[in-house]
Amino acid sequence: MTWLQRHVRPEQIRELSLLLLIVVAIFFFGSLIDGYYTFRTFNRIASSVAIITVVAVGQTLVVLTRNIDLSVGSIVGFTAYFVGTLIASHNSINPFFAVAIAILIGAALGVVNGVLVSWGRVPAVVVTLGTLAIYRGVLVDLSGAKTVTTDSLPQWLIDLPLLNVLPIGSLDIRALFVLALVIVVLFHLGTIYLSFARRFYAIGSNPEAAQLIGLPMKSVVFLAFVICGALSGLGGFMMLARFGNITVEAGRGLELSVVAAVVVGGVNIFGGSGTVTGAMLGAALIGTLEQSLFRLGISEFWLNAVLGLLILLAVASDAIILQRLRALWTRAELKLIVGAPEKRGTQP
Amino acid sequence: MRKMMMSAAAFALLALAPQSGWTQVATVTPGKDVSMVLLPKFLGILPFDQAHKGAEEAAKELQNPAALQFLGPTPQNSVAGQIEIVTNATTQGVKAIMISNNSGDQIAPAAKVAQAKGVKVVTWDSPIPSAEGEDVFVAQVDFSEIGKVMADMALSILGPNGGKFAILSASPDASNQNAWIAAMKTALKDPKYAQLNLVDTVYGNDESEKSYTQAQALVDKYPDLRLIMAPTSVGIVAAAKALQDEKLCDKVKVSGLGLPSEMLAYTKNGCAPQFALWSFVDLGYLAYYTAYALATGAIKAEEGAKFKAGRMGDYAITKDPTRAKGLRVLMGPFTVYTKDNVEAAAK
Amino acid sequence: MTGAGAALKRWETLMFVLLVAIIALNSLDSRYFLSIGNFVNLFQLSIEKSIVALTMTLVIIGGEIDLSVASVMGLAACVAAWTFQHGAPMPLAVLLALAAGIVAGLNNAFWIAYVGLPSLAVTLAGLIGYRGVARIFLEDRAIGGFPEWFNQLGQQPIIGPLTASIVIFFILFVFFAVILHSSALGRMIYAIGSNVQAARYSGVRVGLIKTDLFVASAFVAALAGVLYAARLGSVRGDMAEGFELDIITAVLLGGVSIFGGKGNLAGVGLAILVILNLRNGMGLANITGNTQNYVIGGLLVFSVLAPNVWQDVRNTWRGREI
Repeated sequence: MTWLQRHVRPEQIRELSLLLLIVVAIFFFGSLIDGYYTFRTFNRIASSVAIITVVAVGQTLVVLTRNIDLSVGSIVGFTAYFVGTLIASHNSINPFFAVAIAILIGAALGVVNGVLVSWGRVPAVVVTLGTLAIYRGVLVDLSGAKTVTTDSLPQWLIDLPLLNVLPIGSLDIRALFVLALVIVVLFHLGTIYLSFARRFYAIGSNPEAAQLIGLPMKSVVFLAFVICGALSGLGGFMMLARFGNITVEAGRGLELSVVAAVVVGGVNIFGGSGTVTGAMLGAALIGTLEQSLFRLGISEFWLNAVLGLLILLAVASDAIILQRLRALWTRAELKLIVGAPEKRGTQP
Repeated sequence: MRKMMMSAAAFALLALAPQSGWTQVATVTPGKDVSMVLLPKFLGILPFDQAHKGAEEAAKELQNPAALQFLGPTPQNSVAGQIEIVTNATTQGVKAIMISNNSGDQIAPAAKVAQAKGVKVVTWDSPIPSAEGEDVFVAQVDFSEIGKVMADMALSILGPNGGKFAILSASPDASNQNAWIAAMKTALKDPKYAQLNLVDTVYGNDESEKSYTQAQALVDKYPDLRLIMAPTSVGIVAAAKALQDEKLCDKVKVSGLGLPSEMLAYTKNGCAPQFALWSFVDLGYLAYYTAYALATGAIKAEEGAKFKAGRMGDYAITKDPTRAKGLRVLMGPFTVYTKDNVEAAAK
Repeated sequence: MTGAGAALKRWETLMFVLLVAIIALNSLDSRYFLSIGNFVNLFQLSIEKSIVALTMTLVIIGGEIDLSVASVMGLAACVAAWTFQHGAPMPLAVLLALAAGIVAGLNNAFWIAYVGLPSLAVTLAGLIGYRGVARIFLEDRAIGGFPEWFNQLGQQPIIGPLTASIVIFFILFVFFAVILHSSALGRMIYAIGSNVQAARYSGVRVGLIKTDLFVASAFVAALAGVLYAARLGSVRGDMAEGFELDIITAVLLGGVSIFGGKGNLAGVGLAILVILNLRNGMGLANITGNTQNYVIGGLLVFSVLAPNVWQDVRNTWRGREI
């Protein structure tokens, strides 16, 4: 068994297979599209992926615990709209305060989901299908059909999405993208190294065992929903900053993009395995496909058919690559146990 | 509000109703109990709320004791929701339904059932394409006129040398947007517009986010694009914002149909030097008068009928030249907004 | 087993009580509610979703999910309209539409049952992809002008006041109820849904049954799509967009567990009646749009929450720990 095989599980390097797929996709499109390898292309994909990534990180935590949050699209729209309205009427508001409010609104909506799932013992799909409709309904009813428009927002907010954090030559590394990266890194490290955060995995991979060893199941699931709500709130703020014009429709259907990112990113929908980095790569892969297909000059009417096919192929090839990796690992383990490759080990 | 494009539409109306010149102008009797439903495409965007305001104004003037019902579906359930509302209104025995149709001909069976039960079906903003199940369409402006106005704005922005431009529409299924785009394509055949080169049509589904990314994608795909024409109030603002963020406003302009209150900033900073719209308040007002006149029997839904619509003056029912079948009441006029008049209208 | 049985019974009782309450409220609230015409309308307005909810019940009990149904409905309608417009006689166009449904179902089944990908991922790709294929056929056009018999199929009563779609719903309801509740196939669907490994070890041909489920789901969705086209008399690329969430909502409200293995068709039938009567009653009370959605969303959560809270309260009453 190699050093690599001893220290890393195949699921942990699954991100490599996704990265490989993204690289393949970029080379593929780069060879077909003139002027594809530019910083502008990078910025397009990075900006379009940033918001979905932040929400997908929260979704990953929920999915790890064998639950799902379908209400994220409504939470994003809700916070984007109400924080937008707040900032529009109080232009002098402190930026950090505004972000904090967005996160708090999101977290509060997540608390509702979490309480109903954890202590109400209502399946997450049922709860969040319900709150998906309820949060959006409350938003529409309270809004009076008004739209938050860019010119009512303060300059710092309008400039925020264009803010260049790390100028490397002519490459723009924009604030929202950096924010998304920071969130991914924080949560990736957190879920791996914090023993508390390992509980998300423990509960999802084997709920019965987790209960037997006395893990506080309910609080952990609750926490996952609250974090997911908070990150969706942050996503709502990012949406406000990026698009400026927020209608009551903001974020509608986002839940499907987020679930797609998480599933393509290799997070097991039955809980227990997957990483937030995977979810980010899933979002990046879908974002790359979406952005590039249009540039390719494919008719508007063909886009979704091709996109659906490519997502299917991506999921399938990822599964096949992972299977190969697992087989390699198993063979190596058997070698270690049995000592010689000729002797057939019996499966336990 | 300065009205710059009104005369053409008004003349068209007169020219199309020659035989009705001597018909009596009917006045509607106020105070009759007529239950009516105002049905927007969906709830949650400003133009339909403005139309609601106009209809309420008319309802008050006409002292209709039956309250106006403003019922609409959600955007993601627009087609099924509109059909459901028409069916339920028929069951309730309302006297008139005013529909901004988002369902194309799919609403025709339900509308026909309504008509058979004696309900007057008036469409406004967007008609039933086949005119089946529809008594009359209250047209905001002439649909071919919209195409021509868009072509004119494009010409005026791009100048005599012209250039490449693209259309950012609502959804591929929005039949009024499709009709306007078709009218614009017809208008573009005039040699006057020979230098205008329409390169693409994309759809933002009336979502800010999708429209924004579509506008960005357009400038990536066509580096020498000079104009994005968005005949939708959601799309035009999103496109203007996208170009502003790209710092491309000097190179690529935005135009189309939009609300002054939402477009103010972009018109003043030059991103969207010109755009057009009609008054949705007036449209709701006129739709209400038309439906009330039909439902009370003051007029019949036939060519040549004339009626007085309160503060807006006299209107006539004519054949709709933009559809194979169907009648219409033409409102008009257009207002083209520029940096000179947008501020006053935005208030 | 008796505990589970009693719980199921309780669920249906709850749904039934809810239904009676809603009907009573509706008839007090609106004098238009209690009429045959209104009852037919109430069914007819959502009949396609109700039909697809039947197969969705089987799929979810089998431990899977099919998010692509609404897109398959749209695809089938577009195939029928496109082939008709290109000269195919209407019956052939309908057959081709149903065939398109079967192809879509086989495609889903291949990746799920034989490659072993999660159904959520595969049918999410189908949700995007099949809608995309539908869009290729119709682009920005609307196709109508179908033969009169086809439109009548969706609009005219054939038995008493009932339209063909409603009759088909009842036939399929009985058909799938028999399959699910009194056939070997039904027992195997439950077995797969509750424990796929155990089912496999006890000789159930899991791949084959999953294939059956997904092909049936897509075929019935295609049929519903064709009926929807007949009812509306015209087809566009956005036909049935977003229906999947309403369909899944009805199934879950029917007491079917999203984790598979639990639930039955009677519960789903009652849930459909609850939703339809609720929507209709609110419609007649001029409550539309989002308010309808969040009342139904609230009902969905509440109906699962209420028995749980009741149980907690009772347990505390008796001084027992959970």
